[in-house]
Amino acid sequence: MAPTRVTNSIRRLRFEHGEMTQQELAERIGVTRQTVNAIEAGKYSPSLEVAFRIAEVFGVRIDEVFHYGPPAGGPER
Amino acid sequence: MSFREKTAWVTVLAIVVVVTLYWLHVPDPFRASPTPVLLHAMGVCLAAFLLIELAGWLVLRWRFPRDAREPRDERELLIDLRALRIAYYTFLAGALGGVFVTLHLAGTGPVGVGMAVFSAFVLSQLARHLARIVLHRRGF
Repeated sequence: MAPTRVTNSIRRLRFEHGEMTQQELAERIGVTRQTVNAIEAGKYSPSLEVAFRIAEVFGVRIDEVFHYGPPAGGPER
Repeated sequence: MSFREKTAWVTVLAIVVVVTLYWLHVPDPFRASPTPVLLHAMGVCLAAFLLIELAGWLVLRWRFPRDAREPRDERELLIDLRALRIAYYTFLAGALGGVFVTLHLAGTGPVGVGMAVFSAFVLSQLARHLARIVLHRRGF
């Protein structure tokens, strides 16, 4: 499977929002903790709807959560 | 490990145990005639499979009640679909290959052909659940 070119800032955003856990975020967007972990690690690109829900939870625009670019060293840390 | 991955492990375990039991009970099922021994072995194996599955599911549900209540999310549905696709091709290849080998090479007759198709089905289910485990672990 080709590595995704979509990176994200979920980890940073979680910590900026009171060190929100993956479980808390998962419950708020309606997926499992493992799926949040996979999204955060860049192993899974979520549907547009889940992506919007994540942005909504953090109160930011979707392009502040997800970024599209050349394959690099994985998701933003 | 997600709840779905745990259930996949239970199913893989059940399939391996039951297939081993079956081969021990019926050493050469491809050449056996459809005798009560063969039907009895299949019945026992089916019961053992259902028992292991049910027991495993109940234990998992008891140990992880919150995870068990969670519906499948989009990633888990996609994993299941991809695993089903792998199972489909495994079944197709296994059944066609099995029928060819049993009919043209081994000359085992209708029971052998039936066993080849059934074996392909079992193999496809094993492939399906192993694929679920790999996709959960490797990422999807």
